[in-house]
Amino acid sequence: MSEVKYLTEFYHLPEFKTLDGYKKNGGYKELEKALKMQPQAIIDEVKNSGLRGRGGAGFSTGMKWGFLPKNNEPRYLLCNADEGEPGTFKDRMMMERAPHQLVEGMIISGFAIGSKKSYIYVRGEYDASIASLETAIQEAYKAGYLGQNILGSGFDHDMDVYRGAGAYICGEETGMISSLEGSKGQPKLKPPFPAVQGYLKKPTIVNNVETLAAVKYVMRDGAQGYRKYGTEKSAGTKLFSLSGNVVKPGNYEVPLAYPLKDMIFNLGGGIKNGKKLKAVIPGGSSAPVLTADEAMKATLDYECMAQMGTMLGSGAIIVIDDSKCMVECLANLTHFYHHESCGQCTPCREGTGWVDKITHSILSGKGRMQDIELLLKVADNMKGKTICALSDAAALPVISFVTKFRDEFEYFVREGKSKVKGTAYKGHSHAQMHH
Amino acid sequence: MFQLSAEGKQKVLNELKRYESKQSAVLPALYIAQKENKGHVNAEVIKELSKVMEISEAHINEVCTFYTMYNKQPIGTHHIQVCRTLSCMLNGAKELSEHICSELNVHLGDKTTDGKFTVTEVECLGSCGTAPMMQIGDKYYENLTNESAMNIIRSLK
Amino acid sequence: MPKCTINGVELEVKEGTTIIQAMYDNHQKIAHYCWHPGLSIAGVCRLCMVEIEGNPRLQIACNTVVTEGMKVNNNSPKVKEAVKWGLDFHLINHPLDCPICDQAGECGLQEQYMEFGQYNSEMAEAKTKKHKVVDLGPTVVLDSERCVLCSRCVRFTDEVSKTNELGIFNRGDHAEIGTHAGKELNNKYSLNTVDICPVGALTSKDFRFRQRVWYLKDSEAVCNGCSTGCNVKVYFNKEGVFRVKPKRNDAINGHWMCDDGRNIYKFVNKENRQLKGMKLANGQWTVDLHAGSVAKDAAQVLKAASSDDTALVLTGQHTVEEYESIVSAFVNQFKTKNVYHWWNSEKTASDFDGLLIRGDKNPNTKGLQTVLAKHGVQTQWSQLESALNSGKIKNLVVVGPENVGVYNDLAEKQNLFAKAHNFIFLTAAKADVLKENKSFKNVFVIPTKTFVEKAGTFVNHAGVAQQFKKVTTIVSEALTVSEAATLLVGQDIKVDIVADQDLFNAENKRADQVALDHRKKNEFIFQRGRL
Repeated sequence: MSEVKYLTEFYHLPEFKTLDGYKKNGGYKELEKALKMQPQAIIDEVKNSGLRGRGGAGFSTGMKWGFLPKNNEPRYLLCNADEGEPGTFKDRMMMERAPHQLVEGMIISGFAIGSKKSYIYVRGEYDASIASLETAIQEAYKAGYLGQNILGSGFDHDMDVYRGAGAYICGEETGMISSLEGSKGQPKLKPPFPAVQGYLKKPTIVNNVETLAAVKYVMRDGAQGYRKYGTEKSAGTKLFSLSGNVVKPGNYEVPLAYPLKDMIFNLGGGIKNGKKLKAVIPGGSSAPVLTADEAMKATLDYECMAQMGTMLGSGAIIVIDDSKCMVECLANLTHFYHHESCGQCTPCREGTGWVDKITHSILSGKGRMQDIELLLKVADNMKGKTICALSDAAALPVISFVTKFRDEFEYFVREGKSKVKGTAYKGHSHAQMHH
Repeated sequence: MFQLSAEGKQKVLNELKRYESKQSAVLPALYIAQKENKGHVNAEVIKELSKVMEISEAHINEVCTFYTMYNKQPIGTHHIQVCRTLSCMLNGAKELSEHICSELNVHLGDKTTDGKFTVTEVECLGSCGTAPMMQIGDKYYENLTNESAMNIIRSLK
Repeated sequence: MPKCTINGVELEVKEGTTIIQAMYDNHQKIAHYCWHPGLSIAGVCRLCMVEIEGNPRLQIACNTVVTEGMKVNNNSPKVKEAVKWGLDFHLINHPLDCPICDQAGECGLQEQYMEFGQYNSEMAEAKTKKHKVVDLGPTVVLDSERCVLCSRCVRFTDEVSKTNELGIFNRGDHAEIGTHAGKELNNKYSLNTVDICPVGALTSKDFRFRQRVWYLKDSEAVCNGCSTGCNVKVYFNKEGVFRVKPKRNDAINGHWMCDDGRNIYKFVNKENRQLKGMKLANGQWTVDLHAGSVAKDAAQVLKAASSDDTALVLTGQHTVEEYESIVSAFVNQFKTKNVYHWWNSEKTASDFDGLLIRGDKNPNTKGLQTVLAKHGVQTQWSQLESALNSGKIKNLVVVGPENVGVYNDLAEKQNLFAKAHNFIFLTAAKADVLKENKSFKNVFVIPTKTFVEKAGTFVNHAGVAQQFKKVTTIVSEALTVSEAATLLVGQDIKVDIVADQDLFNAENKRADQVALDHRKKNEFIFQRGRL
């Protein structure tokens, strides 16, 4: 298998960003086609294509759209461009290089679900993406692809960009809805689910950037055409963000079920500086880590990842070489989750802080042997009890790192220094980082 | 006493009408006010926004303290935000951050004595493929080395 | 009406009822902090875990609606383990403040720990520090470290008082409750947040450090602050009443009461009371007289009076039963219909703030009006004024208000009352101020009992009659208006003499109250002063 340029076919052309350049390369043709179809037919086509949410949850897009009430109640389409999962940077590339692709995908999706208003919620740090999208939307309005009576179809649709302000939790769909409503980005209780009661208590669909862009290609090639890549359960292509200790980090589009070892050693050019592979996080920091042995056997699709006890997630592949200390890596992640917990529910709010403190105790050489079991126990009890999955996402790295690299943790506790580096940790103390 | 300029006030009023709900304007309004208040939001700013938008101070403060991009303390002219999360850490972000701090002779989170820079460590900025990297103001600076980072910083006025 | 089984008990509930509501209505125990029947659902404490048959994941009871045939339990080992860990997470950063925290004895964390906890904490890291003793406003103090971020107080100020003073600031475990930049938590219902706070994070400035709650008994009463008639619980011991909290009554006050009502306990305590009888005769005041003897002396004066020159003044502060006895005494025995209604807040009576506070600061105006109408009394206040000014009324009996705080026309009325030759004053509040007024000629001061010291009925603004029982006795020598009325017409009353040291226990024998014999070691109130 090799890399493909399916969604990313024209990304190398700087003009693809502009309306003219986009139209020259097939832009808005699928919108014309979709507006002549019945909305339900589009939903069925998307369902049959096997397209699954590309943001991390991997839920069938067509099925999610099917949860909306089948009446004329106004509903919203929200594009989740918060991209906060550590290791992920694919949506940024898509928005900076191909904003029209997303806009077209959203108008088609909006038509399919009967939504007259959509928002693209972009994380506040993505200034270039926001500028790119706002320009594209303006161009689209001018050309009649947005606004009233689009292309004479009778369908009205308005689109706007909303800027986030720095919170990973706004990547959670109901957290995003809360933020869009002008409040703290705190996730809402489910039920009711967004498709029933979401933004401003109206039915809402939240989809990732890549998912919505892919809708255009389902329109172009049909459900069966989309399925020419991937497997039965993991259809289509996906953009993977490769980073860490590889020679050629970057975004790569591959068909699903592409072997992970090829991603690292072919496309990624292997481990840099002559080091060896030690561990891989396959789906963003919330996915359980794989050892080098496990990584060599893995294929990048939803089933294989689930079978190996991890997940495809956002498709962010973080490669860790054998010169890195796993305790330090875990401490980096526990700090992240501690910082990003919204604080609403107790197991997450207190648990993320607790595991962060324990890990840093171990890191600063003050760990006790029982801390290792304690980490596992606390993390285990953070799972499955909270409003949203951040608590689970914070617990999974703790459990997987400690379980699969326990020797490094035990060494650190016993010797007060890293097994790999042979030195004590020299960095900002925990107290310094939480001013 | 902080007061929005006439232009700023108009921008805020426009935001109030722009979205489906008036309250959605709180996040954009805080950005507008922050820009007019030399890059940070304090109690005076929130009081002013509360008056102009007719939304309770407690609510606006909740939003301000929840999101990291609203600075609660005065910052230097240039806000240097070095990414510290895993992919960047694996590529030397910690060393880069320490280097910048020592070159500028400042602790993390503090302002340099000439008021030009504040250096902070922030979480994943979505630029993992070009690590290590930093964001200064609204711009990303990627694929950094200790040297290239300092060159960029020193070139800023 | 779906049927379900909760912990083996079959229940039938209304459509749309949540599991926790069903358990609450049927007196089943379930750990919870953030849920409150009077507020919206938050679902943040994650303690109300239940196991639902057919669902592998534990669900929270507060946000799950009961469906037909649902089988629920919260006593399986899986649930108990989940609740134990939920509690553990609440406690890892909680300060060890029990010895100095007001909430001890009625604290949610203490209760849940005894129920689901009883483990040794494994938290060995430094606890997160937050602000302590934050002055939130005129009535409430905040201690952020104790706060479990259940958000009840924030929801209260958003949904009930609609004043939006409170918010939760910061993210994660740096989150704290607060007001913005010195703005005060200053609304007429602020103390309800102290009631609903499950821990000692929000404490009442008035009650702070004054008494340990296990030295208090509580009993139900009806607030006499205004004509709404909120149902309340009065907390007291031998030394008096310490605080008032609302009791739920969905028809009248819901779950809440106003801050003004919380102060009503102040005027029932000994320091603000008329303890003994007093008399003024020939320019000389005699004090420390027995209430009964003063009443009997007054009875002599009234016996000698004629029906034309005798008048009675009543306020809307007493019970229907008391009105009945004294009005019938005047109408039937003294054969006079000179009964006047002193209604100080008549002009503002129909004011209503939309929640609970009404402009008529008397609990039983309607009751009084009904009794007066029943006995055919139709008088105007102006008639009394002219009758007193002209000297026509020589003998005036006034049943004075006990909540003197809301009667700002007391001084002005005194001058009017002084015009009577014989002024018989039934009062619960201290009457010392009369001594300074030199226009009085003959005065008989009879101490009366307050609303917590008698059983009776108040009729509120909407005509709802609420009966209440006696809470306790604070001034044993004081008379109820009914007893005073009996004495004033020259009859005798039966008195049970109980020695003062036995009085408290003799009066407060309710089965569900703990015996306070062990209090003998702590006979004094802990007066730590106020903030």
